Amino acid sequence: MDVVFLEPQSLEDAIAMAQSAGPSAKFIAGGTDLIIQARKSGTWPKTIINLQRLPGLGEIVEAAPNWHLGALVTHRQIESDARFLGSLLALRESACVIGGHQVRNVATIGGNICNASPAADMLPVLLCLNAKVTLAGVAGARVVPLCEFIEGPRKTVRAIGEVVTQVQFAAPAARSGSAFLKGGRRRAMEISIVAMAAVVSAGADGTMTDVRLAVGAAGPKAIRLPEVEKFLEGKVPSKSVLQEAGALAVSAVSPIDDVRASASFRRHLTAVYTRRAIETSWNRIVELGNDRSAA
Amino acid sequence: MTEVPLDLNVNGRRYRLSVPAHATLLDVLRDELEQTGTKTNCLEAECGVCTVVLDGKSVASCTVLAAQCNGRSVTTIEGLAEGQNLHPLQEAFVEMGAVQCGYCIPGMIMTAKAFLDENPRPTRDAVREAIAGTLCRCTGYSKIVDAIMVASQRLSQQGERP
Amino acid sequence: MNAPFRVIGKSFPRLDARGKVSGKAVYGTDFSMQGMLHGKLVTSPIASGAIVSIDVERAMAMPGVYAVVTAKDIPAKRYGSFVKDMEVFASSRVNFVGQPVAAVVARTAEEAEYAAKAVDIQYKEDAAVFTTEEAAQADAPLVHPEWETYKAVPTVKRRGNVTNEARLVLGDVEKAFKESYRVFTHRFATNVVHPGYTEPRAAIAHWEDGDQLCVWSNTQLPFEAQATLAEIFKLTPSQVRVNVTTIGGGFGGKLRLGVEHYAAAAALKAGRAVKFVSSCEEEMTSALPRQPLVIELTTGVTKDGKILAKAASILVDTGATSGSGVGVASSVMLMLAGPYKIPNLRLESRSVYTNKTPTGSFRAPAGPQGNFAVESQMDIIADALGIDPLEFRLRNIVEEGDLAPNGQKLESVSLKECLLKAADAIGWNERRPAPGRGKGIACSWWTTTSGSSGVYVKVGPDGQVFLNTGCAEIGTAALTGAAQVLAEALGVELSSIQIVSGDTASTPFDFGAQGSRTAFAVGNACLDAVGKLHQRVKEIAAKQFSVKPEEVTIEIGVAKCGDKVLTLKEVAAVAQASQGGLIAHGTFIAPPTLHDKERTENMVITAINSPSFHAHAVDLSVDDETGEVRIHDYVVAQDVGRAINPTYIEGQIEGGVVQGIGQALSEEIVYEKGVVRNPGLTDYKMPTAMDAPNIRSIIIESPSKVGPYGAKGVGEPPVITPPAAIANAIAAAVSARVQTLPITAEKIVKTLSESGLAEK
Repeated sequence: MDVVFLEPQSLEDAIAMAQSAGPSAKFIAGGTDLIIQARKSGTWPKTIINLQRLPGLGEIVEAAPNWHLGALVTHRQIESDARFLGSLLALRESACVIGGHQVRNVATIGGNICNASPAADMLPVLLCLNAKVTLAGVAGARVVPLCEFIEGPRKTVRAIGEVVTQVQFAAPAARSGSAFLKGGRRRAMEISIVAMAAVVSAGADGTMTDVRLAVGAAGPKAIRLPEVEKFLEGKVPSKSVLQEAGALAVSAVSPIDDVRASASFRRHLTAVYTRRAIETSWNRIVELGNDRSAA
Repeated sequence: MTEVPLDLNVNGRRYRLSVPAHATLLDVLRDELEQTGTKTNCLEAECGVCTVVLDGKSVASCTVLAAQCNGRSVTTIEGLAEGQNLHPLQEAFVEMGAVQCGYCIPGMIMTAKAFLDENPRPTRDAVREAIAGTLCRCTGYSKIVDAIMVASQRLSQQGERP
Repeated sequence: MNAPFRVIGKSFPRLDARGKVSGKAVYGTDFSMQGMLHGKLVTSPIASGAIVSIDVERAMAMPGVYAVVTAKDIPAKRYGSFVKDMEVFASSRVNFVGQPVAAVVARTAEEAEYAAKAVDIQYKEDAAVFTTEEAAQADAPLVHPEWETYKAVPTVKRRGNVTNEARLVLGDVEKAFKESYRVFTHRFATNVVHPGYTEPRAAIAHWEDGDQLCVWSNTQLPFEAQATLAEIFKLTPSQVRVNVTTIGGGFGGKLRLGVEHYAAAAALKAGRAVKFVSSCEEEMTSALPRQPLVIELTTGVTKDGKILAKAASILVDTGATSGSGVGVASSVMLMLAGPYKIPNLRLESRSVYTNKTPTGSFRAPAGPQGNFAVESQMDIIADALGIDPLEFRLRNIVEEGDLAPNGQKLESVSLKECLLKAADAIGWNERRPAPGRGKGIACSWWTTTSGSSGVYVKVGPDGQVFLNTGCAEIGTAALTGAAQVLAEALGVELSSIQIVSGDTASTPFDFGAQGSRTAFAVGNACLDAVGKLHQRVKEIAAKQFSVKPEEVTIEIGVAKCGDKVLTLKEVAAVAQASQGGLIAHGTFIAPPTLHDKERTENMVITAINSPSFHAHAVDLSVDDETGEVRIHDYVVAQDVGRAINPTYIEGQIEGGVVQGIGQALSEEIVYEKGVVRNPGLTDYKMPTAMDAPNIRSIIIESPSKVGPYGAKGVGEPPVITPPAAIANAIAAAVSARVQTLPITAEKIVKTLSESGLAEK
């Protein structure tokens, strides 16, 4: 076992170290995925580059309407940030259901998106927020929409030597609500069998405008459901509309059978959570959004 | 074996060590420092028996590289009591019957310690949420929650004293 | 009601609590020896086949490796509880995925783990069987082709993959079914669940003087480990010394050898002490989980809800070795009659090999499986007859003096009180308080395992009392309970008692921490010791007082005659100065439970000793769209005979119920062609603090004639009834009757959609 451990103090150093170490190097932040995977497979990366000492990547910065989350922001930071309200409440809801405190205290948003697990809970929410990922490399920085950043299960567009530095998104319109729902056998410590996020905005005419819906664990990667969104826009979430939306969502997912659930149960839950995520988001506009729009 | 230097504060004592780059904090505590109060089990951050407090936050020491802890401070179960005087959490666990086999208890107490430091007067539900990452197979958790609630009261009262 | 007692009935903190909360208690995983090496198992990747070759050359050349051990290095020997079908290492064939074939010994655990991957073992794969239905067929592939050559206890009747066929028969079932108003038949199936102790199995073995084996391990049964290790290594038991470390939970999973034998074999070959600790994956693939059962249950009833007859056909899947599954196949029949008066019974049970993980004696072996079937069906029948499920039970439960299915006369029967109190506490009069919400009730009985116990009780000149027992403390605080019995009877404070336990060389024999017997049996041995000590005290005091021993009376902690008084401490000082100290050997063996042997055939467990009675009631909601279950309230009314320490009795109840909730709703080791698909705690889903409800315990004290101060066994019962109670509540909430465990959200939704009840 010969692992080289590097600890860059600056972003430039991190990039340079990764560049020279090549494909057998891995970045580590919280470490909760990397260490478990290495131990299970019995193969450790030749080089581990610790990003935790990089300055300035651990903050959540609001520059209305934009939000910038440094790549080293932990799940606990997100779930504890009372500023995430209304259309951003789903972000906290998705951050607080991953592992226990012990994991959420160290697991980072950067690590979560780079790991690109099909069942990663924050991804559907970030997709609904049209989040963008900033990557820094030798050639400078580039910004990639999250939906393009993740290519497939555990596969991203990040090139060797590139460091994810932040995730950013714009808060949706004032009269918006959001929701995150997940299915699993227990109330904690669960890898989702289906995870659903929605952000819904209300138009002046009392219908839904700008509906955003994303699902995780129901296919090789978390995805937005544009057909369902399009169908819902301009409508009010009546029982029949939601029923139809659920059915549309089911036709857009491609879940698998595994030890956690069957594909058919995942499809069933996709329909149920589509209805509930939209309905909850909508109700939250009524509960919270009115205050906000008045303000 | 590539080793890295490690300057680690454990329970107030400073250690200067050289450890394998892939050694976890748990490996170092149990094997290098021979402090076995911190327990080992699943090694995938699912059971919580290895929980310690790292710079004020609870972490699963099985999934933290020791090398990442250079210059940082760790508190383990061995660091809670002051001499013969148990910490209020330890006392409450004894009194409330929260200990059965006891193997999860070091991790449980350290999980609770970090949580109470941030949330001195939690609700029972908040306590249940806080310890959800630490499995106990013996107690069904009720008496553990009781103990943490009792400890939170006592700690708050201590804190309020001038 | 505890007024006459000083120590009994009080919730003292356990005697070993301080070490456990301070991190100082040394568990099996913590124990180490100077110069010890570490071992790692090499296991079979196939479910059935012959070992063609084992090449250790590459592994031996790897860094830090001292030895590779295989079956060739130890005596060829099969061992086992009822059938001797187990080997330390597979010698010629493997019969489950995860079966140890070799072990690597290296300087560090990590080096051993890496070298284990380099041991090259070639197999020739054979056909395998994975279900009992297949395995019990006459033409099924044999899990053990050489089964006929294995030794077995004479009681069992074996044939191919079937390791026993047992029956319990009473009256004329066919005739009774004909006379029944209705006859119901249902099939129930239960899940493979792991005991889930948080400390993996761990052991260190060291050979002293060549043929003296010394083992430190977290075994529940040091004397059984001693006997089995002696059998395996062809030693006399006295050549094996087993020391028990602090144990991080057992629940029956640490009754049989865990890794002690691998450590012993490895230490023998390496010539050094060797430590083994099970990995989480090994726990999930090759430990001793609970047997899954398939039970076909037929019950005939009268129109007014009297049970006339029950018939059952039971298949017990023991996995690749019979283990305690043979016992389960017997005791499940005592459970299947239920705690009910039934004049006609025909219960038939078979334990069967399959090419899967060998199973063991997880807390209340046979209890949850049998109870799930009986008590689920009770509700189905009650609903069909239009009788309230509680009322249906009350019409059929056993009462004082009734005969159990085996013909034993039941005493101290408190079942009615248990049922009524649990029902009252849960608010049974409102069984379906809201749409999607329902309440369930279920009841059971359980045995207090017999077996002999010995203790030495020694009083020091400082008044400290040593309780020296061969029984291990597995976490239940049962030894603190035994110490409370001792303190009560001896007239001392609990704080003056120190427990020394679990060393086969220095403690008297004890049948061990199993079967809810520890406080019961060790407590009784303590009472015997106190009788003997008091006699000695009288003799010593009499000499000091210059009177006859019978003139001396004993009061709390003192010997008296007239105005002459000697404290226990003073007597102990005299004894130490004049006759080698004040010490007594207390012993206990439960009297046999008399029953009708005509009713049982080939049963290896035939009686319910000092039975305890219990009822569980639960109030829960079911989301009919997602199938999610939320438990609002859970009540247990349990007869413990005498509550020696109420807090730890509640602890047993609360912990057992949550373990039972795991079996009911979320836990299952899932196999695909013999391969475990969820070999870790990510997907083996034990309840977290968020899943565990608050549990209310109603402790009922209906004293037994045998137990110390009337105590009955406490530890196992709480895990028996949750699956049935929860299944019944779910059926009450949303009319989904799930007959297989675990009752997952997915199964609930499927059941609802098949019955057309799910909201579309």
